[in-house]
Amino acid sequence: MTSDRFDLGGGEPIITLRDVAKSYWREALEIPVLQGIDLEIPAGSYIALMGPSGSGKTTLLNLIAGIDRPTGGSLEVCGYELNDLDDDQLASWRNAHVGFIFQNYNLVPVLNAYENVELPLLLMKLSRRERREKVEEALAMVDLMDRRWNYPRQLSGGQEQRVAIARAVVTDPDLLVADEPTGALDAKNAEDVLGLMERLNSDLGKTIVMVTHDPKAAHHARHQIHLEKGVLDKAVEVNR
Amino acid sequence: MRWLALIWKSLMRSKRRTLLIVGSLVLSVFTVAVLQSLLTTLNSVTDNPNSSNRLVVRHKSGLTQMLPRSYEAYLRQQSEVETVCALQWFGGYYQDPRNFFANFASDETTLFQIFREEFGVSGITEAQIKDYIRDGAGCIVGESLAKKNGWKVGDVVPLTGTIFPLNPRLTIRLIFKSPKPSDENALHFHYKVLEEGVPYMKGLVGSFWVRARRPEDIPRLIERVDRHYANSAYETLTETENAFNLAFVKMLGNIGAIIQGITIAVVIAILIVTGNTMATAIRERTTEIAVFRAMGFSAGRVLALLLAEGVLLVGVGGFLGVLLANLAAGGVRSSLGAAMPFFADFAILPDTVLACMLGALGIGVLATFIPAYAATRRPITEGLRSIG
Repeated sequence: MTSDRFDLGGGEPIITLRDVAKSYWREALEIPVLQGIDLEIPAGSYIALMGPSGSGKTTLLNLIAGIDRPTGGSLEVCGYELNDLDDDQLASWRNAHVGFIFQNYNLVPVLNAYENVELPLLLMKLSRRERREKVEEALAMVDLMDRRWNYPRQLSGGQEQRVAIARAVVTDPDLLVADEPTGALDAKNAEDVLGLMERLNSDLGKTIVMVTHDPKAAHHARHQIHLEKGVLDKAVEVNR
Repeated sequence: MRWLALIWKSLMRSKRRTLLIVGSLVLSVFTVAVLQSLLTTLNSVTDNPNSSNRLVVRHKSGLTQMLPRSYEAYLRQQSEVETVCALQWFGGYYQDPRNFFANFASDETTLFQIFREEFGVSGITEAQIKDYIRDGAGCIVGESLAKKNGWKVGDVVPLTGTIFPLNPRLTIRLIFKSPKPSDENALHFHYKVLEEGVPYMKGLVGSFWVRARRPEDIPRLIERVDRHYANSAYETLTETENAFNLAFVKMLGNIGAIIQGITIAVVIAILIVTGNTMATAIRERTTEIAVFRAMGFSAGRVLALLLAEGVLLVGVGGFLGVLLANLAAGGVRSSLGAAMPFFADFAILPDTVLACMLGALGIGVLATFIPAYAATRRPITEGLRSIG
């Protein structure tokens, strides 16, 4: 493992953060969470965001994914200046450019695996047949075609997370964001999920930003970025 | 999967809760529809457009007290009066006491003039009327009543009296139609049958039905008749037909206010129940809503989906409630229509159906909007932190 401060390799940046700051307010009290974040992440990167609890890594992930807004600075992600988009534009942007993978999978319990994966496609102008092709392709990629009619309660944790990954990639987004994707899985399933994410990065060229506490999970990334008290501490290239 | 499937599946996530809320909606809409229709039916009793120049003269002390038939002569003498008909509720039954319907002893010579608008739709000929007048033991029956009992012209109908000690055997001479089903559940026979069969009814009658020449004469006529018999042994109460019918409705108390009060209470209760159910259902889905929005569903689209769930829920409940009310109305008509004639007209009218459905949908929107709006305004990051 080598350490090179914020050198994440060459290539066109897909994520550019300039002096990004984020604070929360508790009545009159300002609580800064992120400060002065300057970062460029090249397309095709696989980044693990690490740091102690409260260091601001999930907040940074949320800002990059466009589900939260900074209180200062600017973010350009997938070619869009996020501060310039209103809420509805930001929602459309997320649908087209970002896939989400959550710690608790967050599948819709009343929909089967197929329908869960199909969900983000409902927002796109696609025919039923086109949707079916994309859903089946995504489910085949996570090796769950045979379980496509199963409901989340009929799947194991690992299978649920694979369905969630299929849902995240079904719209063919440029960017995947994952918040502790293996946090609720046993070692075997965690390894399977991380292997899958690695393939999405290496084979399909997806840019992945993953928040994790787990050094083993972080070892699957190409770079690790450490945060400390809301500021970038260091970037580490992972030797695999 | 289509949008409707998504909405339906979301609605059925807790089948028991959905069934319970639909059940309560069905009962509420059913109650409101039936009560409002009852009110409409009762109002229609006092809103007969054909009765504008008809009066009823009866004993001031009540319907059970009789008036001398000799009063008829005085009434006829009034220049404003076109005709007068003596009419007495007989209260008999056919074969079985449960087989109860409206039956009257009435003056056969003037009956058709007093109620000419009602009888007018039957296409009754003068010859048929004369046939009935000629036969002292004849009677006329409404078409609904005849159909119900399988009667036809020429059949003999034995009536058993419950008020008077008289069991007349009457021959059907005429079957009439009427614009209102309630009016077809009636039988009339000659007043003489009652007078001759019941000695103490000789020269007495329960009421006189009077047709005035012009509606504007009525107030003057009422005042004059009641003044004429004031302080006599048989004081009169003269009133319009609508006022007379209203007296029957008033026997049930201030039914209109009671019905409106119950309706408001039911609407408020169901609004609270539906609102609470929707709020709970939406709160349980805080994380799911955040996930939808993270995936690219706009706040407006999520709000629309949640509202659609609420509207679909109450729409189903409202539809079933109205359907049940319609079935019940049919039951009320057949079981009570004969005993209480105005129930023969009892129906869930299209206006009531529309009002109930719109009311139900309004409740759905109102009950869902507040929690749904709050849920879609919550920051996505906050929703994702919730344990849903």
